[in-house]
Amino acid sequence: MSITLDQVTKRYQGVPVVNDVSIDIGDGEFFVLLGPSGSGKSTLLRAVAGLTGVDHGRISLHGRDVTHVPAQKRDVGLVFQNYALFRHMTVADNIEFALRVRRVRASARRERRRELLRLVALEGMDERLPAQLSGGQQQRVAVARALAHKPEVLLLDEPFGALDAKIREELRRTIRQVQRELGITTVLVTHDQEEAFALADRIGVMNLGRLLEIGRPDELYTRPATRFVATFLGAANLLLARQTKNGLRFGTLGAEGGADGSVADVPQGAREQEVVAVIRPEEIELAPARRALVCSYLAAGVVEEVAFTGALERLRIRLSAGAAEAELSRAANGNGDGLLEVTRSQHEQRAFGVTPGQSVAIGVRRIHVLPTPLSSFTAYAATLAQATELSLHPLLAELASRMRTRVSTRTADEHAAITGAAVIAAEPEAVAKIEWLLKEGVEEVLVLPQGAGPPQRVLIHWADDAARGATLAVAASLLRHVAAEGVYVGILPTSTPDGQRPHSMRALLDARSEAQAVHGLEMRTELRFGDVAEELARRLAESPDQILILGISQLTGLGARFGALLRPEARSPVLIVHRAADLRT
Amino acid sequence: MKPLRQPSVLPGFGLTFGFTTLFLSGVVLLPLAALVLMTASMPWSEFLHVITTPRAIGSYRLSFGASLLAASINVVFGFIIAWTLVRYEFPGRKIIDALIDMPFALPTAVSGIALTTVFAANGWIGRYLEPLGIKVAYTWIGVTVALTLIGMPFVVRSVQPALLEVQRDLEDAAETLGAGRFYVFRRIILPTVLPALLTGFTLAFARAVGEYGSVIFISGNIPMRTEITPLLIVIRLEEFDYRGAAALGFVMLVISFGMLLTINLLQAWGRRRHVATGH
Repeated sequence: MSITLDQVTKRYQGVPVVNDVSIDIGDGEFFVLLGPSGSGKSTLLRAVAGLTGVDHGRISLHGRDVTHVPAQKRDVGLVFQNYALFRHMTVADNIEFALRVRRVRASARRERRRELLRLVALEGMDERLPAQLSGGQQQRVAVARALAHKPEVLLLDEPFGALDAKIREELRRTIRQVQRELGITTVLVTHDQEEAFALADRIGVMNLGRLLEIGRPDELYTRPATRFVATFLGAANLLLARQTKNGLRFGTLGAEGGADGSVADVPQGAREQEVVAVIRPEEIELAPARRALVCSYLAAGVVEEVAFTGALERLRIRLSAGAAEAELSRAANGNGDGLLEVTRSQHEQRAFGVTPGQSVAIGVRRIHVLPTPLSSFTAYAATLAQATELSLHPLLAELASRMRTRVSTRTADEHAAITGAAVIAAEPEAVAKIEWLLKEGVEEVLVLPQGAGPPQRVLIHWADDAARGATLAVAASLLRHVAAEGVYVGILPTSTPDGQRPHSMRALLDARSEAQAVHGLEMRTELRFGDVAEELARRLAESPDQILILGISQLTGLGARFGALLRPEARSPVLIVHRAADLRT
Repeated sequence: MKPLRQPSVLPGFGLTFGFTTLFLSGVVLLPLAALVLMTASMPWSEFLHVITTPRAIGSYRLSFGASLLAASINVVFGFIIAWTLVRYEFPGRKIIDALIDMPFALPTAVSGIALTTVFAANGWIGRYLEPLGIKVAYTWIGVTVALTLIGMPFVVRSVQPALLEVQRDLEDAAETLGAGRFYVFRRIILPTVLPALLTGFTLAFARAVGEYGSVIFISGNIPMRTEITPLLIVIRLEEFDYRGAAALGFVMLVISFGMLLTINLLQAWGRRRHVATGH
């Protein structure tokens, strides 16, 4: 491996800006770190270059641990967004800088300089000053300068950010060419998904300091695992669906996608479960009527907007009542108005032209189901007023908006089934409510105390081993959407004999590697001794901005075991994950 | 010279150029011309005699020597102060930044008296230096201290904007290319701020040469040893020896002009060599 990052964490004033990131980058690979501004991607790159220290974790380059090696001795080449050329030096002096530092002979320097200028197509520019070059040329000089000392890795920090579109594309091609020719391991940081697709062998998508997913561009585009990646890599419609034996059911009308199971790549599951489906705008087909559709029927809708953009036509369609319920409250494309985005080719436009106001039948060629266990939230309380108040709880609103999902309300006397995770207030009867909800088939219950804010730390514990997989999945899903660190708390009875302890430590590490391997979740581990509920309460009391994810598989004695954590005076939210033991196998 | 048709916020070129000429003539050139004329009315031998008395030569040495030394000290410490103010964020930074301008605002006599109080043999600092055999007040050291004080803001204020322009990225880039801290300072930071540093030096030096108020209190004015040229000029005036005063003034004018010209030429040469032409 060329570059290995192992659980790298960097904090600014206590807030993690790079949060437990682990990556292995192979020899000669072109790796792109993609994320919105503030996602921590540039900080991570600077940490690899040695310009920023890390608070936790290790960085190695070609097997050499460089975590504490200063930038001068790391042997990397770094290219900045604003070129960072030395303005008082000529192009030649800029390129030879690293060689001068290393006291390379003048003739060898000249030789290398010629080679590099040829590589970046700037022959004959040796004696120019940076101010006499265009932006694109300056960035080429910067690339040549970064390569002069034959570094082991090349790091590019938004290198095209300051250039206009045409130059950008040209330089992009040059960089790809140079990288191929030299076979140098390269990491590029960008917020532009098109750039990432054009350059990357593999892409790592970052958000809120976490590395969410790593994969080949096409893999990430067609099979994202998270809502964020699905929507950040191009437009996507996120819809809530019911997973049935026959496929997916959208809304209440019973519209079925993929009756033959070929449309959606649905994970196998026995129960009718709520899932989040991703539909790319180009996978949608329109027809005048349901029977005219070539692919599976999704719903009926009315065209709201038609925009011509050259090769493609962009449409926005309002789903008809019933099917509309399937939609998440905030549409994935960020406009929040709950319209379905559709793009169609010229060919499709000619076959069936539409105008605003027209009713159409909507079909889907391909649906991808996100493997996320948290689909939506339902605030549950005795009266509608209480349920509404609960649904407006700042932490819940924050979570729903970050997860781009919906919060619905439900009172005790309604009989509709609760979808997704249930949310209740921390109150004296909380335990009874939880027991009832879990018996109804709800799998996750979030208990919210008054005034709880966004968490800094997510504590993870499963009381019964059967709930382990589900608990980790829920924790991974939650941690992708909040800037917090995950800590697994293992608790052993005080009476544990010393001989038993190594075994417990191993179980702890097993849990960590399972989280890493299956969910891409990096978490820390802690081992405590004592009574489970008491130790959890003690850990939660240490600081107010924590949330506990508690996995259980037995309902009996819930109050006796964990009642103390669920009382109104508890300050931390608790998310209970329940999986019955027999269903798991 | 570009002709009149340059659209600009200020009124036409003719008006502004006329004003510039008038202003410079009235305030700068005419008084200087009077000085030269007054000197020219002296017989050559008398002129030579007046400007080469041992007392006069001693005063030149002190005036220009102490000014050069003070300006050099200011270049070093002014740079450090400017660096601290630009690069670090600390409580009270704004206050220190404002304090830099104090020597501008203070009547020079006040700073002279204050310095004397502090550095006299029984003053706050002087009393600790005295046993070490260092006398500050009433020696050339005191003169240098006073000239350093009044010249300091010039260096700081010239270097500050230049330092703001040295982007962190440049240092980071140099560091990833393998350069150590000292190398970065010598090859990246210094060349970028050198023109500003020279300007600061020139301004501080010019100010120090002309300084009068603060120096006369701390120097003790011992002829041949701690007497600066401006003071000697005043003494000549008080003796109603106007021509002698003019002759000394003329010498100062020539030396100062020569030194400033040299520094300016040096700067222009440096610009041609290093800094980009045309943006």
